[in-house]
Amino acid sequence: MSDIKEIPASTLAAFGIIGGLVGIYLSPYFPAAGALGAICAVIWASEAVRRVSKYGLGTGVPSIGQIAMGMGIVASMFGLAIMHTIPLAGPIVALLTASVIGLIIGWFAQNVIKMKIPVMIRCMTEIAAAGSLIIVGFSAAVAGGFEFKQLLHSVFDNGIMLIAFWVGAVAILHPFNAVLGPDEKQKRLLYLAGSTGAITMAILGIAAMMTLGNSGIITLLLGVILWLIFYKLFWDEVYKDAAAVVGTGLIPRTEA
Amino acid sequence: MATELLLLSLQEILFIAISGTLICIAVHFVPVGGAPAAMAQATGIGTGTVELAAGSGLVGLLTASYMYSSVPDAPMALVLAAGAIGSMTMMAVTMFFGGLVYAYGVGVPFASAQVKKDPITGARQDIYMSKGTQGQGLPMVCYVSGLIGGALGGIGGAMIYFALESIYKPLIGESAPAVAGIFTMGVFYVNAVIASYGVGGTIEGFHDPKFRRVLPKDTLTAFIVSLLCGVVAVLIAWGMV
Repeated sequence: MSDIKEIPASTLAAFGIIGGLVGIYLSPYFPAAGALGAICAVIWASEAVRRVSKYGLGTGVPSIGQIAMGMGIVASMFGLAIMHTIPLAGPIVALLTASVIGLIIGWFAQNVIKMKIPVMIRCMTEIAAAGSLIIVGFSAAVAGGFEFKQLLHSVFDNGIMLIAFWVGAVAILHPFNAVLGPDEKQKRLLYLAGSTGAITMAILGIAAMMTLGNSGIITLLLGVILWLIFYKLFWDEVYKDAAAVVGTGLIPRTEA
Repeated sequence: MATELLLLSLQEILFIAISGTLICIAVHFVPVGGAPAAMAQATGIGTGTVELAAGSGLVGLLTASYMYSSVPDAPMALVLAAGAIGSMTMMAVTMFFGGLVYAYGVGVPFASAQVKKDPITGARQDIYMSKGTQGQGLPMVCYVSGLIGGALGGIGGAMIYFALESIYKPLIGESAPAVAGIFTMGVFYVNAVIASYGVGGTIEGFHDPKFRRVLPKDTLTAFIVSLLCGVVAVLIAWGMV
């Protein structure tokens, strides 16, 4: 495995944070940008899930996607709500709060529950932070902005938040859950993460058509296009990595 | 303003911390076998801890919120009872149908690997265990343990909902149930996952030796994390003014 060059975790973290925040800040002018930012965060989160899940959590990969969203949703709404007088600081405070909650949970998992996973604290922090960016990004794409009051009426009241919560969690946890195994490669995972993020964007595009009208169509179309692109890349990667499939026939009947 | 709000809602924060801890304890009662149980090679229901806890907890949340919204000025006990009943029903149905599949589909006798005799019925367990497995199906003690877990989880979920709803309702009115419900889900998932990390994926119920070993540290973790979630969730109300 060492001969394969991997993108370092910190590069992906920078990509996720910067991409996510830029997307969220552009969302009042161009709602689809929020979802694009969230896709950056999905790619970052799935890499963090990969690093921590490689050690074997004992509970399956899905659990970490669910805890990420659980932490993310509380932290991100806190950040946006407490900064309602200075809305611009909201997403950053959300990111910081999520990181702190993730850090504390990671510390407890490592030192009190004693999970013995060396990267636990760092990965839990990263996953929580990415979770908050995903929640804020996708909901900003539906609400057309990231102010708390705006989100309250166009994301919470109609239950779209649940879609962001669930589909977002699956977007994080599915990539590693699907590609794990002896021949797991980062590139394949990242392409799959892009495609799960994009399909989430498409689904939320449908929701955005309800709340924002025409600009939701842009989110939907961009999501579908990105999904096709990323899925094709993933597909190619799978073909490249797959060994030859040889038909061996049925097991010979020796004992008949 | 923030400190004032925190002081005013101390009770609610404490409720959230206690209910988070209840959820964490509840997960320890639920007999989860994970993937081995899905192949009838371990005792318990064949799925993950979080899935089971979330499934029963969310049904409890539904019944609790229905009770809260349809009974005017519903007292807390009534809402908690509704949550417990909802969760227990979901848990009972899951275990019953899981049991039907194990008994008549897979065709295994129910046996626990952790105890020699069922603590409730007194039936011998070890002679019914297939070689190379960790027990199969859902013996009586697991079923009862699962019901207790369902009740605790339902009470926990309902208590968070009740606490948050009573803070948010005067501030945002009609949006309050949605916000409270979704935050309850958030806190629920965090605690369910902490508990499942503690038990390492599988546990048979309160008779499992693992139960006593991991419960104290998981409970401590869940209490502190839920306390933090409680403070954060209460402070969100500040932004609603």
